[in-house]
Amino acid sequence: MQQQTETLFIQHFGKEESRSLAYFREKMAGYSALRKALGMSQDDIINEMKRANLRGRGGAGFPAGVKWGFIPKQSAKPKYLVCNADESEPGTFKDRDIMRYIPHLLIEGMVIGGYAIGAKVGYIYIRGEYTREAKLLNQAISEAYDAGLLGKNILGLGHDFDLTVHRGAGAYICGEETALLSSLEGKRGEPRVKPPFPAQAGAFGGPTIVNNVETLAAVPFIINRGGDWFAGLGKLERSGGTRLFGVSGHVKKPGLYEIGAGSATLRQIIYDFAGGILHDKKLKAVIPGGSSAPVLTPEEIDVIADVDTLAKIGTMLGSASIVVVSEEYCVVRLLTRISKFYAHESCGQCTPCREGTRWMTDVLYRIEHGHGREEDLALLLDLSNNIAGRTLCPLGDAAAGPVASFVKKFQADFEAHIRGGKCPSA
Amino acid sequence: MPKCIIDGREVEFTPGQNLIEVAKSAGIVIPGFCYHPGLSVVAQCRMCAVEIEKMPKLQTACSTAATEGMVVKTRSERVKDAQKSVMEFLLINHPLDCPICDKAGECDLQDRSFDYGSPYQRYAEERRTFEDVDMGPVIKKNMNRCIHCTRCIRFGDEIAGIREMVAIHRGNSTEITTLTGLPLETEYAGNYADICPTGSLTLKDFRFKKRVWFLKKVPTICEGCSRGCSLELHQSDNVIYRCVARENLEVNKYWICDEGRFNFHYVQAPERLTEPAARQGGSLQSAEWSVAVAKAKATIVDKKVTVLVGSDLTQEEALLLKELAPKHFPGAAMFHFGTPGITAGQHDAPADKILKRTSKTSNLHGLEQLGFEGLVTLPRGTEAVVVFRGGRATLPDLGGLATVGVGVFTAAEAEAFQAVLPGLTFTEKSGTIVNFEGREQQLKRVILPLGQAKPLAEILTMWANVGAAAVVARAGAKV
Repeated sequence: MQQQTETLFIQHFGKEESRSLAYFREKMAGYSALRKALGMSQDDIINEMKRANLRGRGGAGFPAGVKWGFIPKQSAKPKYLVCNADESEPGTFKDRDIMRYIPHLLIEGMVIGGYAIGAKVGYIYIRGEYTREAKLLNQAISEAYDAGLLGKNILGLGHDFDLTVHRGAGAYICGEETALLSSLEGKRGEPRVKPPFPAQAGAFGGPTIVNNVETLAAVPFIINRGGDWFAGLGKLERSGGTRLFGVSGHVKKPGLYEIGAGSATLRQIIYDFAGGILHDKKLKAVIPGGSSAPVLTPEEIDVIADVDTLAKIGTMLGSASIVVVSEEYCVVRLLTRISKFYAHESCGQCTPCREGTRWMTDVLYRIEHGHGREEDLALLLDLSNNIAGRTLCPLGDAAAGPVASFVKKFQADFEAHIRGGKCPSA
Repeated sequence: MPKCIIDGREVEFTPGQNLIEVAKSAGIVIPGFCYHPGLSVVAQCRMCAVEIEKMPKLQTACSTAATEGMVVKTRSERVKDAQKSVMEFLLINHPLDCPICDKAGECDLQDRSFDYGSPYQRYAEERRTFEDVDMGPVIKKNMNRCIHCTRCIRFGDEIAGIREMVAIHRGNSTEITTLTGLPLETEYAGNYADICPTGSLTLKDFRFKKRVWFLKKVPTICEGCSRGCSLELHQSDNVIYRCVARENLEVNKYWICDEGRFNFHYVQAPERLTEPAARQGGSLQSAEWSVAVAKAKATIVDKKVTVLVGSDLTQEEALLLKELAPKHFPGAAMFHFGTPGITAGQHDAPADKILKRTSKTSNLHGLEQLGFEGLVTLPRGTEAVVVFRGGRATLPDLGGLATVGVGVFTAAEAEAFQAVLPGLTFTEKSGTIVNFEGREQQLKRVILPLGQAKPLAEILTMWANVGAAAVVARAGAKV
């Protein structure tokens, strides 16, 4: 078993009482970081964030402190801080536990973030399916309002910050930050042309920072214990803090695991933490960062699970959601299902994504059901190539990456379907 | 001016200009579907992707502003490959029914397929189909042909000021339709057909009337109101089939209203009188020119005459009348007329927030420049009226006075007239009109005069040359 580093979140999960302001204050030094932050300058906070090497936890892994630094000091329009709680990448379930077990941590992080970027209004855009989490957040928010931790003149230190929970209506695309902002504004949830980036013109045209739940929940720790300490929790140079890994699929102990960023390989997480493959079967495939991450074969998983290390081998850490597939499951079927998801969730704006995701899905469906043709595999690779990098937002890449990687890495499985006229395992 | 390099050529640009426009100024075409210079940029068709040095991914030219020293390639292998794949994606669900599509021959999708597409088809799956709603009297919708460029949605939202076209559903099932399935409401609906890059939105008025490649396109000006929008009228074999907007950034940008678009129909309507006519035996009957002119002259001889000049006439025609009226109609008072309630240029105002003006004739302001005064009431003692009219000016109430009509009238309008000398509509003559801003614009002849209609100068010459006394006697004898 890998040596556990200090954890920030996970010890508070699974407890009813951790939701309360009292617990948060007593057990987590709740809102002490806020008091400290309100005594600091905005630049100091942003510098502390930069020192912390906090990579965005939503999927892209962009350094959060750098992002905060993009916000203009002066703005004619109000600035906004938006928390992306859409958590829509299949396989991902980490933000949910933060929101339902330690909602005050997120609220505190947001008030500090609002102060640092000069925003007086914040939104938590939460996926529509999280009805219970939205309710719990709202309870925590009203608790915070009652305690003078939200609203006007917070803690008597002159900072104003209002926080509202906005529920999405069930679209994956609204996890993309500009689509999220459109949806927040009451428009169709479709990504926008960048530039302008949200930091220049985001929600309602005002400068806006959009951060993931886990990213914002890390802020109080960074303020309380310093950016250098936070950076030290990570084992790699450019990646600080701990990470919540969600392991799902064919493992013995699926669930969330928190480890220091870059401190374990995928194999260690799957076998040491998650207990290995269900029924002790052989491992077939690993999707390391939510279903949009290009797939890995069992030979490729001795790699440190972190942003840069996984990028180096052509996949991504994404939302640190590891989907494990055993030999018992048909990878053609799995890819068809993943592909169908992205076709269904494509917003329909960009030609390659609108037309290509459905086309790929149709071809995969044929292959899965024994109607594949020899030329289909080359077609799939070509189609994914024609989508990747050629759309407004990353959904095109998300749809193309799995197809290209599955077809290349599990070519024999696809060929068996095509030549045998059916699924070999059926 | 700053410069960038496109396909190896140095091109000057104005800061803020996007690459499509900059390239266009150098004669380099970057293809696009969703981009329209009069609408906001959405960068979603992805057809205008170009390669820019120092940028790893292809960038959409519509959403990329040129910068000093930027090096752009519009025809590199990567760009060609991307264009080819976008064309393939756009066509997999398109019905390819060009042989029976009204847009064929002027279709962006068709033309771009020819220029950038592949001659081979790889798509072996089922095509997407939709059922269409009726969109009202102007536009026929065919969603199967749609390529989701959203120009129509943006036009409604940004120009017509009504969000009536919307996208419903999502992804591959996205349907462009009216929000509630109700007919279009805007009075600018024809523009939807103009800007649609495929045959998805076509004009009901033009459907199945003519293949577009047979049409001769004549640039001219709208006579529908005092704005004078730039138009293109399309004719074949001396029949006008269609009217479309013509770009004029200073007057109407890229748009025209439906009233102006469909105004031309009266030109070739069966009700229009294109033969000279004289009142005989209590009704207006077709007559020879000499007979009709004689009847006209007889009608006004020895009477106190008022001359009414439609503000739908050109400057040339009005000037001619101004010069010749004292000779032909000695002592007659002369006024302009056109729109009820608008007797002076100052009464002319915007009729909506887009293009329309309240003066429903084109040359009100020109006539004022020439010193014509507007008709309020006919001068006391008027016994006969001569009306000169281009076809659009609203006739005033003539109270049963003996009237001669010169110009364009329908049989119903001229029912009580003593004589009609048929003149030319705005499509049958060239000339100058002056819009509400004082802008002089040129009407251009689109078709040859229909029937026996003649230019005003010719009619006035006849008027002068037909021997008045003799003709009066002859006409009198005949009647």
